[in-house]
Parts: sequence; structure tokens; C-alpha cells
Amino acid sequence: MSTIERPVLPLAHEPTPSGEIYPDAIDLERVRAAHVDQFTQREQVTVDGNTAAALAVLQMWRCLIYPGFPITPSTKWIETIASKIADEPRTKKKVKLLEAEHAVADYLVGAAAACRDLIFSTATSSVGLDHMTETTRSLGASGLGNVMLIDVYRATANFPLCIEGDPSDTLAHRDDGFIQICTRGKQQIYDTILQAPCLGMHPEVLTPTMPGYYGIKDSHRSARLTVEADKAIHAFQDGWIQPCPLPGLINGDTAFGNCVTSKHFQGFKLSQRRRMENVLRVLPAVGADFEKHFGRPGLAFFDEVGWPEHGSVDIAVVGMGPDFGTFEALRESFEQYAGLQVAGLAMRLLTPFPSEAVRRRLEKAQVVLVVNQAHHYGRGHLTLDVVDALSTLPHPPRVVSAFAGLGGADVSEATWERMLEQARAGEDGRHVEPAAFFHEGRPL
Amino acid sequence: MRVLDLKRVIQTSHLEIRGDGKAGGGLLLAFQSLADLLAQDPGIHVQEWPFFSSARRGASIRSFMRVSRRPITAACEVTRPDVAILMNESAARTWDFAEGVQPGGTYILNTGRTPEQCALHYRLSGRVITVPGDDVGREHLKHAIGNVSVYVAAAQVVADQPLETIFESFMHTLEKRHVPKRILESNRAALEATVPLIRSGVFDAAAPGAHTAPPFEGYGELPVGAQTALRLSRTNRTADYAPSGIRLRFEDPADACTGCAHCIHNCPEGIILFQPDEERGLKVVGVEVSTFCKLCGECIAVCPEKLFKEVPFEEHWAEEEEVSLT
Repeated sequence: MSTIERPVLPLAHEPTPSGEIYPDAIDLERVRAAHVDQFTQREQVTVDGNTAAALAVLQMWRCLIYPGFPITPSTKWIETIASKIADEPRTKKKVKLLEAEHAVADYLVGAAAACRDLIFSTATSSVGLDHMTETTRSLGASGLGNVMLIDVYRATANFPLCIEGDPSDTLAHRDDGFIQICTRGKQQIYDTILQAPCLGMHPEVLTPTMPGYYGIKDSHRSARLTVEADKAIHAFQDGWIQPCPLPGLINGDTAFGNCVTSKHFQGFKLSQRRRMENVLRVLPAVGADFEKHFGRPGLAFFDEVGWPEHGSVDIAVVGMGPDFGTFEALRESFEQYAGLQVAGLAMRLLTPFPSEAVRRRLEKAQVVLVVNQAHHYGRGHLTLDVVDALSTLPHPPRVVSAFAGLGGADVSEATWERMLEQARAGEDGRHVEPAAFFHEGRPL
Repeated sequence: MRVLDLKRVIQTSHLEIRGDGKAGGGLLLAFQSLADLLAQDPGIHVQEWPFFSSARRGASIRSFMRVSRRPITAACEVTRPDVAILMNESAARTWDFAEGVQPGGTYILNTGRTPEQCALHYRLSGRVITVPGDDVGREHLKHAIGNVSVYVAAAQVVADQPLETIFESFMHTLEKRHVPKRILESNRAALEATVPLIRSGVFDAAAPGAHTAPPFEGYGELPVGAQTALRLSRTNRTADYAPSGIRLRFEDPADACTGCAHCIHNCPEGIILFQPDEERGLKVVGVEVSTFCKLCGECIAVCPEKLFKEVPFEEHWAEEEEVSLT
């Protein structure tokens, strides 16, 4: 159980050893007062994933400027924001359309560093994220927890081009230094984006966030969404987001991204790593507080499906994204057909990987089926993390690795059943390939 | 064969709908509008999403929908739909729009043909609903787009709502998209004009096992790095990208072609037919539209004499069936 609490007031900007501080450079109270509510009460709307993500950032009073560059399937995020802003003459919010993704990332650095108390967000996909890479690495190390880069998953293996949902983009950026959170379904997209800055801007974390969702499968899928009143969102976020302990460039005389020698570089990386590790303590607390405020599950390491209290199951499935829902839909019927107990984890926190929580959940499983959805020459990104998490157990469960849905390919019920059969073979002690591909109910 | 009661399926299970159409043909708007309408009932769960690629306007696309009084977790594509919608008849050349539909299912087609003709041509067993949406679009929206009509036909069989609510919900969806008032009024007229044109019948024209999905046979040998010949169009019927209901026509009764060759240079498919001409250098004599013309409109735009135009065209069926259903 986490002992993390909301940051304790008062926290205020301190002058740097070398300089002055200009606390009035940005008057946060004026920014807050200028916010025009999107929703004045809880409502239900029918929207797709990109719209859910756009509404969430529009409702934050700290989110004033939206830099962006369109790329399928994330384009509708910036389009929705631009459209809503154009519809509201009273708003001070602005879209900043830039010439390319690298420029967007650079803009995020400059803006977020200028005022660490405002939130700066963009959305991108696939090679758009790759194009940002030079700067995302800097961002990851920057302590700019007020940056939120929404990644709408799309394959990065661009020969051939494919625009559909595949997490190879986010998984290629595991070590950029972002807190990576996978979401599935409209509600989880919206709720996660509301919580992400609370996590990233926490003084013990100060790390940018990268919430993400599957392109097309979630970005373009419409379903009902419960939206909260802006004021309720502000009350929740204000409880977590306090004045950053570091001065922004505007209100403090500081430099950013200085050059150091090897004498110090490792020290900075260790410090960055420790901040990232703190996510494992802060995230459950933010999630619990969100649930207290809104009555829906908040941030968590993973979603759990079908676990008995004693935790012993024949097959444990580890996956991520909306296709996990198809497994949920057929889990019970497969249990009855196979006479086995089957449960599952849909991963939400990808970086830092919550190894200890995963190990505790899986340690009593007979076999673990890990379903990977991104190109990998080994057993799969997710498989490696799960195997690593289980490696300290004296008798770890057997891990069966599968690939399905690359490039956003459909993961049909028949494919899920075939993968579960593969896990069943593993549970019986039969030989299974270290990693196998499945599609339309058959191995490839 | 018993015709499936769609509203009952929603109450007791998951109703699954699939639509086939062309990018730019209005399929997505029809599905989104239907989802908006169904979601007005707070007790109903709706999930709606498209399948399309990076291809251009006119490429084949699909839309999917699940509707239920129970929470929906399944995210896979709909492969055994209770309702199959064909928005553009030319899309049926790419895919079997009825694939996976069980006998007793419902088929909704945007076509000027009768339910009987469609049941026979596509070998359908179940309730067949037709609506001449492109005609309605041409009359009220100045464009052969049948999504308004298909929406009305689908809403009537799926949603438990009065006509006025069906209309209002569609208008609300358009308003959210900032559609100008003048076009809103045209859409309203198209909605109302559709109702008396919807035709329906129950037929049993599918042979046993018809519309069964073929088993996945693997990917076979694929070109390294997806490298292909530049003129992929020579093996790819790019005419299938054209919207159904219209075709390109070249007409030069006054022998007005100047031989400027703008059409020849600008046609991406190289399908302008011409011959040498002593006076003009060359003279355009026609255009081969059946296989490669995707109606990009380049020739129409560049011809100084306005010799190219789009004309109405009825989708050709290879074999015309005699309508003799019992």
C-alpha cells in the first residue's frame, strides 16, 4: 500500500543560487480565471477516442497552448481542439500548428520550461513520435513533468505503410524517459489523461507522461463517455499539482540542458531513474484519489480480469489495449470448455514496468500467456518484461509468448481461442515455440 | 428460415452490424449517426468504428457496430453480422458484403434496384431492404451520396424510435460537424424524401453454405519491403475506386478537341485514347473507363473545351437474373 500523499502546501518557487526570481511573470490565478468551462456538470456523450482525449485536455485550466502537427490516426485530436477553441470566442486557449513533429517537441520543451506550472500537451503517432526522438530523450531527462505527449499507437515499421493501431511506436520509446501508460476504451483514455499530469508533475516524480491508445481500434471507435464538470476536474488536479519546486525559465534566472562531463552524467541518469521509480508509489495514490472524486477506477498498474482471491489459476493472460476486451468476452466460455481457470491482466503502466506487482499477481499461475502486438525479433517486448518480473521466483510459471494483431490486424475470437490453446499446451507440459504468431485462428 | 428480430437481439444479446462502402461515400457518417441515435437510450451500449487504410477517396472501407443492453467488451471485427449494409454497390466487387450473415439476417442496400433483384443477384436469405439513396442524394444534396437514406433505413429496423427522433438525431450529428444551415435543410429534405422510397421483402435465395468466409490461408510470398512495380494499377482495377453511380464520358460532337494534350499529360492512369492528326498534331477520340478510371477529375479540370464530364451510370451486373421468386 502506498504511503504517498498529495504534495503538502506551501510549495513555492525558490530563487536559484545564481539568480533572481520573478514570481509574477505568469499570474496563474489570471490563467485559471480565464478558463471557459467545456462542461458545467457531469454528462454523457458519444465520442471516439481522439475526441475523448481532446476534451480532457481542453477541460484543464492549466492547459493553454496546444502545439501540434497532424498525423493519422491522431489528427482528430488537434482538429477537435482547434474546432472547440474556434467555437468559443471567450477562450484564451490557442492551437499552435507547427511545421513538423520535431518542432512540436521543441516547442513543448520551451513552453513547459518557461512555465512549469502550466501543462503542455500534444498528440502524435508512429513516425511522428520517431521524428520527435531527439527531443523526447531530452524531455524525458528534463524534469518537465508538465509535458504530456499523447501517443496514438500506430506501427512504425513503415515499409510497408500501415496506419492502424500497433504499439510498436510507444514500445520503441521505452527508454526516452516518459511515464508510458496504455489505455483502452473511451473512459479510460479520458480518465487517464486527466490524471497523468498529477503523476508527472508530482515533486517526487517530475517526469513527462506519455499516455497512449490504439490507433483506429480506439482512436476512431465511438462509444459512450462520461465527462466530468470542469470545476470538478480542477478541484481534483489542484489537489495534486502545486507550484513546481523548480523555477520556470520565465520566473527564474535558470539555464536548461547544461553540458556536463562523464564525472556527473551517470549521477543525473541515476537521479532520473529514481524519479521514474517513484512513479510506482505515486501512481496508485493518484488513482485512489481519482476514484474517491469521481467513483470510477483511477490509474492502476493493470486491469485484472477473472482472478480468484487465492490467486491460483491455470492460465494467466497478459496483454494490453482494446483487443484484451475480446479475451474478456470469451474468457468464461473458454474456462467451461477447457475445464481450466483462466484470468488476465491488461497492462496499463508500461514504463516504469511494475515488475513487483506483476510478479505478485502471476506467481501462482501455472502458465502465463503473453500476447505481444508489436514487431520484435525476440519473444516480444511485453514477454521480456514479464519474464524479468518472474525471474526472482524460485519456481516461476512457464511463459508462453504469442504475437497477434501486428499493424492493427484484427485479433478475432478464433485467434484468442487458438492462443489460449497454445497456453493450454504449455500448461500440459507439451513443447511450444518460444514465440509464435497467430491470425484468424491459426498459427503462422 | 426465420427472420431475426433485431430489436430482440439487442435486448438479449449483442446486435452486430457491418457496412461496406467507399471512402468519401458517407458510410462512416451513416454509422456514426446511427450510433448517436442508439446511444440516446441510456440503457443501451453502442460501439462503432471504421476500417480503412491510407488509400485515397474511393478505396473500399468497412464500418462495424455492436449494440446491446449488456456492456460490450469484445473489440474484434464483426465477422458474423446480423445486419449487412452495402453503401456503394461497387464495393461488392471487392468484398462479399453478405459474408458471414446467417440465414434470417437483414441486408440494407443503397440501390435503385428492387429487393427481389438484389436477393437474386447477391444470393441473400433474409430480409432485404433497398433504398435509392444515391438518387435521393442527387436530388437534394447535388451529389450521389446515399448515406442519409441508408441511415434512415437502418434506423427504422434497429432503433426503437419514432421517425422524427431519427431525423432529429441525424440533424444533431450534422450540427456538431458545423454543417452550414443551407446544407442542413437539404439533408432534412433528403431524410424525409427517403421514407416512401424504402422497399423491403423477405427472400430465401442463398444456397447452403453461401457467404461462408473462406479460411485464412496465410500470407504466402510477399514482396521484400513491399516493393512493387510502379504501375501497380495495371494489375489493380483502379476503376473500383470510383464512386458508384457515375462514370466519366468524353464527347466531342463538334470536333472541338484542340490537341493540347493536357488531358493526356494529366491522366494518372494513361487511359485517354488519341490518334495522330495532321492539323492539330493529335486528337483525343475517347477514354477507356471500365478498368482504370477512378474518376479523379483531372481531365475534366484541364480540358479547355470541356469535353469530359461525369454522367450517371448504373452498376453493371455480369449476369441479369430473371426475377421469379416465390
